[in-house]
Amino acid sequence: MKTNLWIPTVLLTVFVVAISCVKDTDFEQASDITARPVVELNLIHFDVAAGDFYDETTGTSRLTLSDTTEIRFLDDSGLQESLLRAEFFFEFTNSIPRNFDVTFQFLSEALDTTYTAQTFVNEGTTTVPVITTFEEIVEGTEILDLTSADRVVVNVTIPEANAELEGALRLKSKTTYFLEITERE
Amino acid sequence: MKHVLFLVMAISLSGTLYSQNKQILYGFEEIPQSLLVNPGGKTQLQKHFGIPLFSQIHINAGASGISTYDIFGATGEDITAKVDAKIFEMQDTDFFSVTQQLEILNFGWRTQSDFYLSGGIYQEFDFIFYYPRDLAILGWEGNRDYLDYEFDLGQLSTTGDLLTVYHFGVNKELTKKLTVGLRAKVYSSMLSYRSVNNKGVFVTSIAEDDDENVYEHRLEGIDMSVETSGIADLDEGPIGGKLLGRALFGGNLGVGVDVGATYDITDRLSLSASALDIGAIFHTKNTENYTAQGDYTLDGIELLFPPLSAGGDTFPYYDDLEDEILEEVAVDTTTTSYTQMRPVKVNGGLQYRFGRILAGTGVCDCRNMGRGSEREQAIGLQFFSMARPKGWQMAGTFYYYRRIFDFLTAKATYTYDAYETSNVGVGVSTTFKKFNFYLALDNLLRYGNLAKAKSVSLQFGFNIKVDTE
Repeated sequence: MKTNLWIPTVLLTVFVVAISCVKDTDFEQASDITARPVVELNLIHFDVAAGDFYDETTGTSRLTLSDTTEIRFLDDSGLQESLLRAEFFFEFTNSIPRNFDVTFQFLSEALDTTYTAQTFVNEGTTTVPVITTFEEIVEGTEILDLTSADRVVVNVTIPEANAELEGALRLKSKTTYFLEITERE
Repeated sequence: MKHVLFLVMAISLSGTLYSQNKQILYGFEEIPQSLLVNPGGKTQLQKHFGIPLFSQIHINAGASGISTYDIFGATGEDITAKVDAKIFEMQDTDFFSVTQQLEILNFGWRTQSDFYLSGGIYQEFDFIFYYPRDLAILGWEGNRDYLDYEFDLGQLSTTGDLLTVYHFGVNKELTKKLTVGLRAKVYSSMLSYRSVNNKGVFVTSIAEDDDENVYEHRLEGIDMSVETSGIADLDEGPIGGKLLGRALFGGNLGVGVDVGATYDITDRLSLSASALDIGAIFHTKNTENYTAQGDYTLDGIELLFPPLSAGGDTFPYYDDLEDEILEEVAVDTTTTSYTQMRPVKVNGGLQYRFGRILAGTGVCDCRNMGRGSEREQAIGLQFFSMARPKGWQMAGTFYYYRRIFDFLTAKATYTYDAYETSNVGVGVSTTFKKFNFYLALDNLLRYGNLAKAKSVSLQFGFNIKVDTE
């Protein structure tokens, strides 16, 4: 009895399949679906005092302050494939009466420099801090250089420092990531 | 691509929008399984026996607010533009759902004191996933154009269950006008998860001028959870045997009842109602729950420029940041027991019968004084409602019923709900000798092109039945 039921079940399934259909559709289009999110994210920030450029114990100036941080998501394969454009925005607030030379050096895991951005920061005073902004736009073939990196080295260079120097140099920064996410074979 | 195809399959396969609405089966007395939709339905049965594994096969999948055609229709429009429009058009109350039931056993018999007893076992899979609109927008567009906008993470709401139901019910014509029924159920849960009542927002806003950062990225009032049972230990040992054991009372158990009644207001008019799955499953074994709570503001990476000797390492800023996030928005894993209410289903129906009287021979059926008469045709209205994580889902049905021949009965339905306004269904029940076959198809107008259907449903089965002569 039970095995005989396969026949009506199969017939019924055939019937339902026969009267039903999916038409006027094109599933190949799925590969054309493209999301284009634009993501705003803080990058790094710092606040260095004028005194940091002078080592009181040795009585010598430290003309270049340097620090490194990983930005591990940068060389993620997903970001590598989908990043179209990155806009870096840096805002320096300087109350030290000196100009600065600041470089952002992007390094790969093997510590090769893949991308560099550089800017000058105008001098300010302790009473009237001066704001200098700097934008760096990375797109096209340079994107690959940027996304080959997973860390950034920041070098802040002062032309001259002494024990009496006052004030602080502050940085806040953000990146706008323009992504294009689509299916890849 | 696989994910997209899965979605397409899920939408196109079949199913009612309110995936457990069995509007064709409800009140369809010729089909023994109508007692599962209303245990207090009228029945002429003396006994019945469902063909094991073939007595009721019920599958459906549906999506509100979207059909396959909406996205993949060969309309010549840019597909990204169509997806874009849908992402904003759909609401967080829209959902994708799949329900499947397979009856393993079903039987019933009439006792000498005229109770109709019925029982059986069925397996059920039920899944619902609400459209998390804000998260979809965040993923699709990013946060640049949404500064100060509070992305609601609480829109995330989904449940899934795989269980076996053992049931036994009693149906009795209390008076000539009133028939009532009660069905007791024991649930044996094989797999279950739910993530409901989530709370929290994500917001990006421009920080104050004197702030150390350009933006404030904030997670506020996070209170999110996922509760699972039977899933955590699935990777240990063979799954098949484990699930089978749980299906046979080895799982997390629960109890529930179905109640229902039918009342003949006049000879031609009757009112009926049922409430199904009033009960709960107590998840005490193999539970694993994850919760995340708190507030967090992403401060980002602050460089400290420590004086370093050549070749020395600076601080692990990135690791510290990751650790901080994990600490502030800690995901706690617990194995606490939890109770899960079954999704209650409510049916109501008003029926008006007309045409030739079936039971008895003439206009006056002397053996049937006071009872509603069985007639050749009927029209009626039905109401269905089901408790879901984001509130009650409702549907209304208008139907026409007709006994075409002694061996063939049909019911045509028109169902209206907030999403689908042209859902026409047909059900037929045929009985040759004692062999009963029934088929109910929903959303018939869409079978011409399933891609345009937001949902379609299908139920069919085979029974041996003996009616009252």
